[in-house]
Amino acid sequence: MGWGPVLGAALAYLTALFAVAHWADRRQAAGRSVIASPTVYALSLAVYCTTWTFYGSVGRAATQGIGFLPVYLGPTLLMLLAPLLLRKILRIAKEQRTTSIADFLASRYGRSPLLGGLVAVTATVGVVPYIALQLKAVAVSFDVLTGGGLSADGGLGAGALPFLDHGFLIAAVMALFAIVFGARQLDAAEHHPGMVAAIALESLVKLVAFLAVGVFVVWGLFDGPGPLFAAAAAHPDLARLFDGEAALGSTAAGVWVATTLLSAAAMLCLPRQFQVMVIEAVDERHLDRAVWLFPLYLLLINLFVLPVTLAGLATFGGRTDPDLFVVALPLEGGVAWLALLAFLGGLSAAAGMIVVESVALSTMLCNELAVPLLLRFRPAALARSADPAPLLLAIRRGAIVAILLLGYAYFRLAGSAYALVSIGLISFAAVAQFAPALVGGLYWRGATRRGAIGGVAAGTLVWAYTLLLPSFARSDWLPASFIADGPWGVTVLRPYALLGLEGLDPLAHALFWSALANIGAYVALSLFDSPDGAERGQAAAFVGMSAAAAPFTDTAAPPPAASADWRGAASVGDLVRAVARFLGPQRAEQAFAGADPQEPAGPERLRAAERLLAGVLGGASARVALASAVSAEAVDAAELLRMLDETSDVIAHSRQLEQKTADLERATDALRAANERLTELDRLKDDFLSTVTHELRTPLTSIRALSEILHDDPGLDTAQRQEFLAVIIKESERLTRLINQVLDMAKIEAGALDWRIEAIDPADTLAQAVAATEALFRERGIDLSVDLPRHLPRVRADADRVIQVAVNLLSNAAKFSPRGGRTRISARPIDGGVRVTVADSGPGVARKDRKLVFDRFRQSGDTLTGKPAGTGLGLAIAKRIVEHLGGRIGVEDAPAAIEEETAGATFWFTLPLAADSAETEATR
Amino acid sequence: MTAPSPGRRGERLAALFLLAAVLFNPPLLRLFGTGGTLLGVPALYAWVFGLWAAVIALAALAGRMK
Repeated sequence: MGWGPVLGAALAYLTALFAVAHWADRRQAAGRSVIASPTVYALSLAVYCTTWTFYGSVGRAATQGIGFLPVYLGPTLLMLLAPLLLRKILRIAKEQRTTSIADFLASRYGRSPLLGGLVAVTATVGVVPYIALQLKAVAVSFDVLTGGGLSADGGLGAGALPFLDHGFLIAAVMALFAIVFGARQLDAAEHHPGMVAAIALESLVKLVAFLAVGVFVVWGLFDGPGPLFAAAAAHPDLARLFDGEAALGSTAAGVWVATTLLSAAAMLCLPRQFQVMVIEAVDERHLDRAVWLFPLYLLLINLFVLPVTLAGLATFGGRTDPDLFVVALPLEGGVAWLALLAFLGGLSAAAGMIVVESVALSTMLCNELAVPLLLRFRPAALARSADPAPLLLAIRRGAIVAILLLGYAYFRLAGSAYALVSIGLISFAAVAQFAPALVGGLYWRGATRRGAIGGVAAGTLVWAYTLLLPSFARSDWLPASFIADGPWGVTVLRPYALLGLEGLDPLAHALFWSALANIGAYVALSLFDSPDGAERGQAAAFVGMSAAAAPFTDTAAPPPAASADWRGAASVGDLVRAVARFLGPQRAEQAFAGADPQEPAGPERLRAAERLLAGVLGGASARVALASAVSAEAVDAAELLRMLDETSDVIAHSRQLEQKTADLERATDALRAANERLTELDRLKDDFLSTVTHELRTPLTSIRALSEILHDDPGLDTAQRQEFLAVIIKESERLTRLINQVLDMAKIEAGALDWRIEAIDPADTLAQAVAATEALFRERGIDLSVDLPRHLPRVRADADRVIQVAVNLLSNAAKFSPRGGRTRISARPIDGGVRVTVADSGPGVARKDRKLVFDRFRQSGDTLTGKPAGTGLGLAIAKRIVEHLGGRIGVEDAPAAIEEETAGATFWFTLPLAADSAETEATR
Repeated sequence: MTAPSPGRRGERLAALFLLAAVLFNPPLLRLFGTGGTLLGVPALYAWVFGLWAAVIALAALAGRMK
């Protein structure tokens, strides 16, 4: 494969990552975060899997069989402690506004700048080789893919010029990425949504790439796992990897345990893991899914390591570095695109690690090292700058570039000395030195600053002596006799057998001695130390944090109370000087006229001065300026950083406010709409009430008038009397009907109506409705034609309710048709049901009213008399009945057959077909 | 299936941690390093990955089972 397409694909892929990160940042700014998901969180944790996993696991498996697994079993075990340990760390970090693991440890031990700096330096020294490893992996896999260096020593392609090779190119692109998405602005909570989104995507890519290679190797090159393992078993040196001896034998068992411990500690203490797991966490409930999803990811990405290893060893023998089987096997199998995918997977693994690690380290170096040093040696410069944020960002960007340059330099100088996997474990052992102070600080109130500093320092020194220096010796920077005979030939000091402790693997050996020194110094110094009040306060805050308290869901913690250390010392003269520097002497004199310059300033005047300055410089800078004017050395690193935090806090709060304002506006709109609807309903109710009362009063009035006549005039003749009584009966019936309808409506609305739904014959049922209304039509002289064919399909309905609907439509037709008019009721089968129509020759329903007539309390306008002709409930009840039965109801123009002089209206409704077996079913 | 209380879940996971820490260690793993295959896969590999998958499944269940 030519280097052109490979380079093109790599650059295209990195560009896509840039785009994803940019998109995620934009989404975050718009308030629709993509990283607020437990799955994205778990995937971002998978930044744990670097090229060391992607390429190095196969290399380790080639010599140790399942010996590569402890690196993933350790984090699996650690995740099981998430509800106890990780949740507590997350809560403390949010409350303390932690920016890195160095900051976390420094905060726990009395905001100690010394400890913070120590941790930052140790982490950087420990992790730079690890970054070099990523660059090397990408460079070497590039060579393999392009055919540049398929050599057993895994060395670089020949003749690469310094600063013009792909390792440098990768480092440069990664630095750019880290600067753009990791150090673009100071964020209140050190959140980098774009970076996290890109990491999650990278994690998916590397997983898919490895699985694809694994599937290809097992089922493409061999015929499944069975034949593959059988083929491997035929080689005696491969069969050796099957049994436990390679990974679990007497020496190897020590490595197994040590690696498990180290990787669990590294999962917690690696700057990049702390960054994605703690600093970037937006919701601690995301841990609940990560507890199993992240280990599942680890299992999946390791599933095919052994098959790939065995296949590679069987195919290549010793011709190719096992570290590169993942790319070399697809190439050997002739599937170039898969090899390219594998390369991109490795590139993903490297890119994710490099970006997050360099961002985490740069934050640490800036906050824990650069700022305290600046404050110590150049306090004036820092305090004078109106807004220190650009300075801090410049430091961070510089740190990112420096870290990657260091990584590149290490890669060029020592890159080919050591197998990939050893470099990774050296880094793990370095950051594991933070674990005792970290975990101890969470549960042991008596742990102190001196203990922590002593522990980390002692552990790191032993680590450097037993692992780092020997690795230099192996890279020929130190004479080989350093390992074999000890420095200056002192055998007791041999780095791999310190004090004569032999029989252990170098890693287990280093872990044992460094842990002994680390924990020993930590415990001993803590026990003989007496911390001051501030340190005890922080200890109590960390140890006392409950893992079971109410979870945080957002990053907005109340800002810590500002300390008043320099305020007490300020005099009025100081304030005048400070204000004069920025606002001119006149304003300063004006502001503090008449006060004695020697007088203590007092809180009133301090606030006034701060307000004056804040108007020009902004709040945080105002305080810096004021503090620096009062007493230059009084502003310590912690306070400066807190001020920065507060500025960012204000930004965060104002963003939240904007969000809330938008929410409020939406709520207001919803309320306004609801209010309009309510007003409309209220008006309808009033209308209805007046209609109903009117309707009730009319029959009541005539009943009462006629009964009074009957009562007062006993001499009325019989015919007259009969006529009056008939009217009274008719009016009472009308009243009853009205009240029944109101009750019906109320019942339907409340869902309290009894339904008896069964298969019925629509023609029969409608005939009953016709019979009930025939008299009405005759009385009004309206011609009613009935068109109900025999053999209509049976429908599923409640017969009584269907009659009610039909009677309502028919009586409406009778009511609205003029004398001598015509009405026709007909029924026709349609697709899936029966359609019933009632057409009249009345005035019709105006098009705009067609929807409204089925609303409650609505009437079809004024009839000829100008008086409503009903309660306005009949059609509303009909609509609800039909809809409950599963049909539809509507009104349209009358058909031409009837429509001659008048418009006319055709009301129709449909009823659904009954199931084949007409079974009776009673429902409510 | 309803979620257990957070404390209960933490206790279950802590117990699972202890169990897994024991099972993932050389003395017990070595019991399966004696050769032989399971469906064509060496017994040791099948056992380690099966055990690992079981721990993950239990961790997922710990947060779901009442």
